[in-house]
Amino acid sequence: MGEVWARCIRAAAILCTALIAVVGGTGCVHVYQPMSGLHGPVVVDIQAPNFEDLNLTVHCVPGDQLNRLETSTLCRKVGSLFENQGAKVHTIDTSAPVKDVFKDVFAEETEVDPDEPPPPLTDLTLELRTREVRETDDPISWFAYISTGTLLPAITEYTHTIDVVVRDGSGFLLARDTIEGRIVRRMGLGVWAGNKLLDVAWRDDADKVTGEDVANAELSADLYGQLSQLTFNAKMQWTVLQESTPATAEEVP
Amino acid sequence: MQIFVLFVLTLMATVKPDPAPGLFRTKTASAELDCEQLTVARANQERPGQIGEARPRGDYVDRRVVVCSERLISHGVRPVRDEAILSTLDARADEVASAAAALGPDLQSRTWLVETYYPSVQVASKVSFAAKNSLMEHGLTVSDRTPILGFGDLDVITRMPAEQAYPAACKRYYATGSLGEQDALLAVVSRDPRETILHAGLCSRGQWKWLR
Repeated sequence: MGEVWARCIRAAAILCTALIAVVGGTGCVHVYQPMSGLHGPVVVDIQAPNFEDLNLTVHCVPGDQLNRLETSTLCRKVGSLFENQGAKVHTIDTSAPVKDVFKDVFAEETEVDPDEPPPPLTDLTLELRTREVRETDDPISWFAYISTGTLLPAITEYTHTIDVVVRDGSGFLLARDTIEGRIVRRMGLGVWAGNKLLDVAWRDDADKVTGEDVANAELSADLYGQLSQLTFNAKMQWTVLQESTPATAEEVP
Repeated sequence: MQIFVLFVLTLMATVKPDPAPGLFRTKTASAELDCEQLTVARANQERPGQIGEARPRGDYVDRRVVVCSERLISHGVRPVRDEAILSTLDARADEVASAAAALGPDLQSRTWLVETYYPSVQVASKVSFAAKNSLMEHGLTVSDRTPILGFGDLDVITRMPAEQAYPAACKRYYATGSLGEQDALLAVVSRDPRETILHAGLCSRGQWKWLR
Protein backbone atom coordinates (compact mmCIF):
# COMPACT_ATOMS: atom_id res chain seq x y z
CA MET A 1 0.00 0.00 0.00
CA GLY A 2 2.85 2.31 0.98
CA GLU A 3 4.65 1.55 -2.28
CA VAL A 4 1.54 2.46 -4.29
CA TRP A 5 1.30 5.80 -2.45
CA ALA A 6 4.96 6.49 -3.11
CA ARG A 7 4.47 5.77 -6.82
CA CYS A 8 1.41 8.02 -6.92
CA ILE A 9 3.26 10.88 -5.23
CA ARG A 10 6.24 10.46 -7.59
CA ALA A 11 3.93 10.46 -10.61
CA ALA A 12 2.11 13.54 -9.34
CA ALA A 13 5.43 15.31 -8.74
CA ILE A 14 6.63 14.50 -12.26
CA LEU A 15 3.30 15.65 -13.70
CA CYS A 16 3.44 18.92 -11.74
CA THR A 17 7.05 19.54 -12.79
CA ALA A 18 6.17 18.83 -16.42
CA LEU A 19 3.15 21.13 -16.18
CA ILE A 20 5.18 23.94 -14.62
CA ALA A 21 7.89 23.42 -17.23
CA VAL A 22 5.33 23.65 -20.05
CA VAL A 23 3.62 26.73 -18.58
CA GLY A 24 6.90 28.35 -17.59
CA GLY A 25 8.64 27.27 -20.77
CA THR A 26 6.08 29.00 -22.87
CA GLY A 27 5.79 31.83 -20.34
CA CYS A 28 7.43 34.90 -21.75
CA VAL A 29 8.40 38.05 -19.98
CA HIS A 30 8.55 41.03 -22.32
CA VAL A 31 10.38 44.03 -20.97
CA TYR A 32 10.66 47.41 -22.62
CA GLN A 33 13.69 49.62 -22.37
CA PRO A 34 13.52 53.15 -23.72
CA MET A 35 16.61 54.11 -25.71
CA SER A 36 17.46 57.39 -27.39
CA GLY A 37 14.61 59.86 -27.67
CA LEU A 38 12.02 57.82 -25.83
CA HIS A 39 12.86 58.76 -22.26
CA GLY A 40 13.18 62.51 -22.76
CA PRO A 41 11.19 64.82 -20.49
CA VAL A 42 7.60 65.38 -21.60
CA VAL A 43 5.80 68.50 -20.35
CA VAL A 44 2.64 68.46 -22.47
CA ASP A 45 -0.39 66.72 -21.07
CA ILE A 46 -1.52 64.46 -23.92
CA GLN A 47 -5.12 64.67 -22.72
CA ALA A 48 -5.24 68.48 -22.86
CA PRO A 49 -6.28 70.52 -25.95
CA ASN A 50 -2.75 71.41 -27.07
CA PHE A 51 -3.47 71.66 -30.80
CA GLU A 52 -6.83 73.39 -31.05
CA ASP A 53 -7.72 74.44 -34.63
CA LEU A 54 -4.43 73.13 -36.01
CA ASN A 55 -4.59 71.34 -39.36
CA LEU A 56 -2.24 68.43 -38.94
CA THR A 57 -1.33 65.82 -41.51
CA VAL A 58 0.04 62.56 -40.17
CA HIS A 59 2.07 60.89 -42.90
CA CYS A 60 3.12 57.31 -42.13
CA VAL A 61 5.51 55.99 -44.74
CA PRO A 62 5.30 52.24 -45.35
CA GLY A 63 8.62 50.43 -45.52
CA ASP A 64 10.34 47.13 -44.83
CA GLN A 65 9.32 47.26 -41.20
CA LEU A 66 5.59 47.93 -41.54
CA ASN A 67 3.28 46.77 -44.28
CA ARG A 68 0.40 48.87 -45.56
CA LEU A 69 -2.06 47.58 -42.97
CA GLU A 70 0.29 48.13 -40.03
CA THR A 71 1.17 51.56 -41.36
CA SER A 72 -2.50 52.39 -41.59
CA THR A 73 -3.03 51.24 -37.99
CA LEU A 74 -0.10 53.33 -36.76
CA CYS A 75 -1.42 56.36 -38.62
CA ARG A 76 -4.90 55.88 -37.22
CA LYS A 77 -3.64 55.62 -33.63
CA VAL A 78 -1.33 58.63 -33.94
CA GLY A 79 -4.14 60.54 -35.67
CA SER A 80 -6.48 59.79 -32.75
CA LEU A 81 -3.80 60.97 -30.34
CA PHE A 82 -3.75 64.41 -31.96
CA GLU A 83 -7.50 64.55 -32.54
CA ASN A 84 -7.94 64.06 -28.81
CA GLN A 85 -5.73 67.10 -28.35
CA GLY A 86 -7.92 69.25 -30.57
CA ALA A 87 -6.15 69.02 -33.94
CA LYS A 88 -7.94 68.53 -37.27
CA VAL A 89 -6.10 65.47 -38.47
CA HIS A 90 -5.67 64.07 -41.96
CA THR A 91 -3.78 60.79 -42.24
CA ILE A 92 -1.78 59.52 -45.20
CA ASP A 93 -0.31 56.03 -45.30
CA THR A 94 1.37 55.93 -48.70
CA SER A 95 4.95 56.61 -49.64
CA ALA A 96 3.91 59.38 -52.04
CA PRO A 97 4.94 62.93 -51.07
CA VAL A 98 2.30 64.80 -49.07
CA LYS A 99 1.85 67.49 -51.71
CA ASP A 100 1.04 64.91 -54.39
CA VAL A 101 -1.56 63.25 -52.19
CA PHE A 102 -3.19 66.58 -51.36
CA LYS A 103 -3.17 67.49 -55.02
CA ASP A 104 -5.31 64.43 -55.71
CA VAL A 105 -7.57 64.98 -52.72
CA PHE A 106 -8.24 68.65 -53.30
CA ALA A 107 -7.86 68.80 -57.07
CA GLU A 108 -11.54 69.50 -57.65
CA GLU A 109 -12.01 71.81 -54.67
CA THR A 110 -9.09 74.17 -55.18
CA GLU A 111 -8.93 76.72 -57.97
CA VAL A 112 -5.31 77.33 -58.81
CA ASP A 113 -4.23 80.84 -59.78
CA PRO A 114 -1.05 80.52 -61.87
CA ASP A 115 0.27 83.92 -60.67
CA GLU A 116 -0.15 83.20 -56.96
CA PRO A 117 1.79 80.56 -55.03
CA PRO A 118 -0.69 77.92 -53.82
CA PRO A 119 -1.70 78.26 -50.17
CA PRO A 120 -0.47 75.56 -47.81
CA LEU A 121 -3.03 72.78 -47.53
CA THR A 122 -2.03 71.87 -44.00
CA ASP A 123 -0.49 73.73 -41.07
CA LEU A 124 1.91 71.01 -40.02
CA THR A 125 2.92 67.63 -41.37
CA LEU A 126 4.13 64.90 -39.05
CA GLU A 127 6.07 62.26 -40.96
CA LEU A 128 6.80 58.86 -39.42
CA ARG A 129 9.17 56.26 -40.83
CA THR A 130 9.78 53.07 -38.89
CA ARG A 131 12.90 50.94 -39.11
CA GLU A 132 13.93 47.76 -37.39
CA VAL A 133 17.46 48.20 -36.15
CA ARG A 134 17.90 44.73 -34.83
CA GLU A 135 16.10 41.47 -34.13
CA THR A 136 18.27 38.76 -32.64
CA ASP A 137 18.05 35.46 -30.88
CA ASP A 138 20.94 34.81 -28.53
CA PRO A 139 22.07 31.26 -29.49
CA ILE A 140 23.91 30.71 -26.20
CA SER A 141 20.78 31.55 -24.23
CA TRP A 142 18.74 29.12 -26.35
CA PHE A 143 21.26 26.38 -25.62
CA ALA A 144 21.02 27.19 -21.89
CA TYR A 145 17.21 27.28 -22.12
CA ILE A 146 16.97 23.81 -23.63
CA SER A 147 19.73 22.12 -21.66
CA THR A 148 18.48 23.34 -18.27
CA GLY A 149 14.86 22.42 -18.94
CA THR A 150 13.87 26.11 -19.30
CA LEU A 151 15.40 27.13 -15.97
CA LEU A 152 17.59 29.68 -17.75
CA PRO A 153 15.85 32.02 -20.20
CA ALA A 154 16.03 32.08 -23.97
CA ILE A 155 16.52 35.72 -24.96
CA THR A 156 15.25 37.44 -28.07
CA GLU A 157 15.44 41.18 -28.52
CA TYR A 158 13.99 43.67 -30.93
CA THR A 159 15.13 47.24 -31.41
CA HIS A 160 12.86 49.54 -33.40
CA THR A 161 13.46 53.06 -34.55
CA ILE A 162 11.01 55.70 -35.69
CA ASP A 163 12.28 58.72 -37.60
CA VAL A 164 9.99 61.64 -36.86
CA VAL A 165 10.00 64.81 -38.96
CA VAL A 166 7.69 67.80 -38.53
CA ARG A 167 7.37 70.33 -41.34
CA ASP A 168 5.11 73.29 -41.92
CA GLY A 169 2.65 73.49 -44.81
CA SER A 170 5.32 74.74 -47.20
CA GLY A 171 7.69 71.90 -46.35
CA PHE A 172 9.99 73.92 -44.06
CA LEU A 173 11.65 71.65 -41.51
CA LEU A 174 10.57 72.55 -37.97
CA ALA A 175 11.68 69.59 -35.86
CA ARG A 176 13.13 66.13 -36.24
CA ASP A 177 14.06 63.33 -33.91
CA THR A 178 14.87 59.66 -33.94
CA ILE A 179 13.09 57.57 -31.36
CA GLU A 180 14.49 54.17 -30.44
CA GLY A 181 13.02 51.50 -28.18
CA ARG A 182 14.18 48.02 -27.25
CA ILE A 183 11.97 45.09 -26.33
CA VAL A 184 13.63 42.10 -24.69
CA ARG A 185 11.74 38.82 -24.60
CA ARG A 186 12.91 36.34 -22.00
CA MET A 187 11.31 32.91 -22.19
CA GLY A 188 11.52 30.12 -19.63
CA LEU A 189 10.34 28.73 -16.34
CA GLY A 190 13.01 30.34 -14.18
CA VAL A 191 12.59 33.86 -15.46
CA TRP A 192 8.80 33.69 -15.62
CA ALA A 193 8.34 32.20 -12.15
CA GLY A 194 10.99 34.48 -10.63
CA ASN A 195 9.45 37.64 -12.07
CA LYS A 196 5.92 36.53 -11.22
CA LEU A 197 6.97 35.90 -7.63
CA LEU A 198 8.68 39.29 -7.38
CA ASP A 199 5.67 41.04 -8.95
CA VAL A 200 3.26 39.43 -6.47
CA ALA A 201 5.40 39.71 -3.35
CA TRP A 202 7.83 42.56 -3.74
CA ARG A 203 7.60 45.03 -6.63
CA ASP A 204 5.59 48.24 -6.77
CA ASP A 205 2.90 48.50 -9.44
CA ALA A 206 5.15 50.71 -11.56
CA ASP A 207 7.94 48.12 -11.52
CA LYS A 208 5.88 45.06 -12.43
CA VAL A 209 6.97 43.33 -15.61
CA THR A 210 4.59 40.38 -15.98
CA GLY A 211 1.02 40.84 -17.13
CA GLU A 212 -0.76 41.29 -20.37
CA ASP A 213 0.98 43.64 -22.80
CA VAL A 214 2.80 45.64 -20.14
CA ALA A 215 5.80 46.30 -22.38
CA ASN A 216 3.70 47.41 -25.36
CA ALA A 217 1.58 49.69 -23.19
CA GLU A 218 4.69 51.36 -21.79
CA LEU A 219 6.22 51.73 -25.24
CA SER A 220 3.00 53.30 -26.57
CA ALA A 221 2.77 55.71 -23.62
CA ASP A 222 6.35 56.89 -24.14
CA LEU A 223 5.91 57.13 -27.91
CA TYR A 224 2.70 59.16 -27.66
CA GLY A 225 4.28 61.49 -25.11
CA GLN A 226 7.36 62.11 -27.24
CA LEU A 227 5.34 62.61 -30.45
CA SER A 228 3.07 65.10 -28.68
CA GLN A 229 6.01 67.03 -27.21
CA LEU A 230 7.93 67.14 -30.47
CA THR A 231 4.88 68.29 -32.41
CA PHE A 232 4.02 70.91 -29.80
CA ASN A 233 7.57 72.27 -29.94
CA ALA A 234 7.29 72.36 -33.73
CA LYS A 235 3.97 74.18 -33.48
CA MET A 236 5.54 76.83 -31.24
CA GLN A 237 8.47 77.18 -33.64
CA TRP A 238 6.01 77.57 -36.51
CA THR A 239 4.06 80.23 -34.58
CA VAL A 240 7.20 82.21 -33.79
CA LEU A 241 8.47 82.06 -37.37
CA GLN A 242 5.09 83.22 -38.65
CA GLU A 243 5.41 86.30 -36.44
CA SER A 244 8.68 87.11 -38.22
CA THR A 245 7.07 87.26 -41.66
CA PRO A 246 6.91 90.82 -43.10
CA ALA A 247 3.10 90.88 -43.19
CA THR A 248 2.73 90.44 -39.44
CA ALA A 249 5.81 92.52 -38.65
CA GLU A 250 4.09 95.60 -40.09
CA GLU A 251 1.14 95.18 -37.77
CA VAL A 252 3.32 95.48 -34.68
CA PRO A 253 2.92 98.96 -33.12
CA MET B 1 22.03 16.44 -9.38
CA GLN B 2 25.30 18.10 -8.32
CA ILE B 3 26.54 18.01 -11.89
CA PHE B 4 23.30 19.65 -13.08
CA VAL B 5 23.59 22.46 -10.49
CA LEU B 6 27.23 23.01 -11.49
CA PHE B 7 26.17 23.04 -15.16
CA VAL B 8 23.42 25.62 -14.49
CA LEU B 9 25.79 27.80 -12.47
CA THR B 10 28.39 27.65 -15.25
CA LEU B 11 25.79 28.69 -17.82
CA MET B 12 24.58 31.47 -15.56
CA ALA B 13 28.11 32.84 -15.50
CA THR B 14 28.01 33.22 -19.29
CA VAL B 15 24.92 35.44 -19.13
CA LYS B 16 25.89 39.06 -19.76
CA PRO B 17 24.33 41.78 -17.57
CA ASP B 18 21.52 43.50 -19.41
CA PRO B 19 20.47 47.11 -18.76
CA ALA B 20 16.83 46.23 -19.50
CA PRO B 21 14.55 45.63 -16.49
CA GLY B 22 14.56 42.05 -15.22
CA LEU B 23 15.10 39.85 -12.20
CA PHE B 24 17.98 41.87 -10.85
CA ARG B 25 17.11 45.37 -12.12
CA THR B 26 13.86 47.24 -11.59
CA LYS B 27 12.27 49.51 -14.18
CA THR B 28 13.05 52.52 -11.99
CA ALA B 29 16.74 51.58 -11.89
CA SER B 30 16.74 50.92 -15.63
CA ALA B 31 15.20 54.35 -16.32
CA GLU B 32 18.19 55.99 -14.63
CA LEU B 33 20.42 54.75 -17.46
CA ASP B 34 20.97 56.52 -20.76
CA CYS B 35 21.62 53.73 -23.24
CA GLU B 36 22.34 53.47 -26.92
CA GLN B 37 22.90 50.47 -29.14
CA LEU B 38 26.10 50.45 -31.15
CA THR B 39 27.89 48.19 -33.57
CA VAL B 40 31.05 46.53 -32.27
CA ALA B 41 33.21 48.74 -34.51
CA ARG B 42 31.65 51.97 -33.26
CA ALA B 43 31.69 50.82 -29.64
CA ASN B 44 35.43 50.13 -29.99
CA GLN B 45 35.96 53.63 -31.36
CA GLU B 46 34.07 55.23 -28.51
CA ARG B 47 35.27 53.00 -25.69
CA PRO B 48 38.60 51.51 -26.78
CA GLY B 49 39.74 48.46 -24.89
CA GLN B 50 36.40 47.78 -23.21
CA ILE B 51 34.80 45.67 -25.95
CA GLY B 52 36.51 42.78 -27.71
CA GLU B 53 37.53 43.59 -31.28
CA ALA B 54 35.67 41.85 -34.09
CA ARG B 55 37.67 38.95 -35.54
CA PRO B 56 39.35 39.61 -38.90
CA ARG B 57 37.05 37.11 -40.63
CA GLY B 58 33.99 38.23 -38.70
CA ASP B 59 32.35 36.99 -35.51
CA TYR B 60 30.44 33.73 -35.39
CA VAL B 61 27.43 35.48 -33.95
CA ASP B 62 25.94 38.93 -34.60
CA ARG B 63 27.32 41.03 -31.81
CA ARG B 64 25.95 44.40 -30.80
CA VAL B 65 26.78 46.52 -27.82
CA VAL B 66 24.39 48.43 -25.57
CA VAL B 67 26.38 51.22 -24.00
CA CYS B 68 24.84 52.86 -20.94
CA SER B 69 25.80 55.67 -18.66
CA GLU B 70 24.09 56.56 -15.42
CA ARG B 71 22.19 59.84 -15.37
CA LEU B 72 23.93 62.58 -13.40
CA ILE B 73 20.65 63.83 -11.95
CA SER B 74 17.90 61.30 -11.30
CA HIS B 75 14.37 61.62 -12.64
CA GLY B 76 12.15 63.76 -10.46
CA VAL B 77 14.89 65.83 -8.82
CA ARG B 78 14.27 68.86 -11.06
CA PRO B 79 10.94 70.02 -12.51
CA VAL B 80 10.34 68.32 -15.86
CA ARG B 81 10.50 71.52 -17.90
CA ASP B 82 13.76 72.62 -16.26
CA GLU B 83 15.16 69.14 -16.78
CA ALA B 84 14.30 69.29 -20.49
CA ILE B 85 16.09 72.62 -20.88
CA LEU B 86 19.11 71.96 -18.68
CA SER B 87 19.85 68.39 -19.79
CA THR B 88 20.56 69.64 -23.31
CA LEU B 89 21.73 73.14 -22.47
CA ASP B 90 25.01 73.01 -24.40
CA ALA B 91 23.30 72.03 -27.64
CA ARG B 92 20.52 74.60 -27.18
CA ALA B 93 22.94 77.42 -26.38
CA ASP B 94 24.99 76.51 -29.43
CA GLU B 95 21.90 76.54 -31.67
CA VAL B 96 20.93 79.99 -30.41
CA ALA B 97 24.47 81.37 -30.77
CA SER B 98 24.86 79.85 -34.25
CA ALA B 99 21.65 81.57 -35.35
CA ALA B 100 22.98 84.89 -34.04
CA ALA B 101 26.45 84.44 -35.51
CA ALA B 102 25.04 83.67 -38.96
CA LEU B 103 23.26 87.03 -39.26
CA GLY B 104 25.86 88.82 -41.32
CA PRO B 105 29.01 90.93 -41.07
CA ASP B 106 27.22 94.05 -39.83
CA LEU B 107 26.28 92.36 -36.57
CA GLN B 108 29.63 90.65 -36.06
CA SER B 109 31.25 93.84 -34.80
CA ARG B 110 28.50 94.69 -32.29
CA THR B 111 28.61 94.15 -28.56
CA TRP B 112 26.17 91.35 -27.72
CA LEU B 113 23.99 91.38 -24.65
CA VAL B 114 21.99 88.33 -23.62
CA GLU B 115 18.66 88.32 -21.82
CA THR B 116 16.74 85.13 -20.97
CA TYR B 117 13.00 85.08 -20.41
CA TYR B 118 12.25 81.96 -18.38
CA PRO B 119 10.11 81.61 -15.24
CA SER B 120 12.85 80.17 -13.03
CA VAL B 121 15.58 82.71 -12.23
CA GLN B 122 18.16 79.99 -11.57
CA VAL B 123 17.51 78.30 -14.91
CA ALA B 124 17.44 81.67 -16.72
CA SER B 125 20.85 82.62 -15.36
CA LYS B 126 22.29 79.27 -16.45
CA VAL B 127 20.82 79.67 -19.93
CA SER B 128 22.22 83.23 -20.20
CA PHE B 129 25.65 82.08 -19.09
CA ALA B 130 25.68 79.22 -21.60
CA ALA B 131 24.46 81.48 -24.42
CA LYS B 132 27.18 84.07 -23.69
CA ASN B 133 29.84 81.36 -23.71
CA SER B 134 28.57 80.06 -27.04
CA LEU B 135 28.53 83.56 -28.53
CA MET B 136 32.15 84.04 -27.46
CA GLU B 137 33.04 80.68 -28.98
CA HIS B 138 31.63 82.04 -32.24
CA GLY B 139 34.03 84.99 -31.99
CA LEU B 140 31.49 87.63 -30.95
CA THR B 141 32.05 90.35 -28.36
CA VAL B 142 29.82 89.78 -25.35
CA SER B 143 28.90 92.10 -22.50
CA ASP B 144 27.55 91.17 -19.07
CA ARG B 145 25.44 94.34 -19.02
CA THR B 146 21.67 93.88 -18.77
CA PRO B 147 19.37 96.29 -20.60
CA ILE B 148 16.87 98.00 -18.31
CA LEU B 149 13.33 99.30 -18.83
CA GLY B 150 11.50 101.80 -16.67
CA PHE B 151 8.62 100.75 -14.43
CA GLY B 152 6.03 102.40 -16.70
CA ASP B 153 7.32 100.54 -19.76
CA LEU B 154 7.35 97.24 -17.92
CA ASP B 155 3.82 97.81 -16.68
CA VAL B 156 2.55 98.27 -20.24
CA ILE B 157 4.68 95.61 -21.93
CA THR B 158 3.93 92.82 -19.49
CA ARG B 159 0.22 93.24 -20.26
CA MET B 160 0.73 92.85 -24.03
CA PRO B 161 0.42 89.54 -25.89
CA ALA B 162 3.80 87.92 -26.53
CA GLU B 163 3.85 88.66 -30.26
CA GLN B 164 3.63 92.39 -29.49
CA ALA B 165 5.51 92.54 -26.20
CA TYR B 166 8.97 91.59 -27.50
CA PRO B 167 9.02 94.07 -30.43
CA ALA B 168 7.65 96.79 -28.12
CA ALA B 169 10.30 96.11 -25.47
CA CYS B 170 12.96 96.24 -28.16
CA LYS B 171 11.79 99.66 -29.33
CA ARG B 172 11.78 100.98 -25.78
CA TYR B 173 15.26 99.60 -25.07
CA TYR B 174 16.55 101.57 -28.06
CA ALA B 175 14.49 104.71 -27.41
CA THR B 176 15.62 104.97 -23.79
CA GLY B 177 19.26 104.43 -24.72
CA SER B 178 19.50 101.21 -22.77
CA LEU B 179 20.59 99.58 -26.02
CA GLY B 180 22.93 101.70 -28.13
CA GLU B 181 23.80 101.81 -31.82
CA GLN B 182 26.63 99.34 -31.37
CA ASP B 183 24.69 96.93 -29.16
CA ALA B 184 22.75 93.85 -30.18
CA LEU B 185 20.49 92.02 -27.76
CA LEU B 186 20.03 88.29 -28.07
CA ALA B 187 16.84 87.32 -26.24
CA VAL B 188 16.44 83.67 -25.33
CA VAL B 189 12.77 82.99 -24.73
CA SER B 190 10.52 80.22 -23.54
CA ARG B 191 7.10 81.23 -24.86
CA ASP B 192 4.84 78.52 -23.46
CA PRO B 193 5.05 76.44 -20.29
CA ARG B 194 4.35 73.32 -22.35
CA GLU B 195 7.31 73.63 -24.73
CA THR B 196 10.77 72.20 -24.13
CA ILE B 197 12.64 74.34 -26.66
CA LEU B 198 14.08 77.83 -26.43
CA HIS B 199 13.38 80.52 -29.02
CA ALA B 200 15.81 83.26 -29.90
CA GLY B 201 15.10 86.84 -30.91
CA LEU B 202 17.36 89.68 -31.96
CA CYS B 203 16.89 93.30 -30.97
CA SER B 204 19.07 95.67 -32.97
CA ARG B 205 18.55 99.44 -33.25
CA GLY B 206 14.95 99.16 -32.16
CA GLN B 207 14.07 96.42 -34.65
CA TRP B 208 12.91 93.04 -33.36
CA LYS B 209 13.33 89.79 -35.26
CA TRP B 210 12.69 86.19 -34.26
CA LEU B 211 15.65 84.01 -35.22
CA ARG B 212 14.20 80.63 -34.26
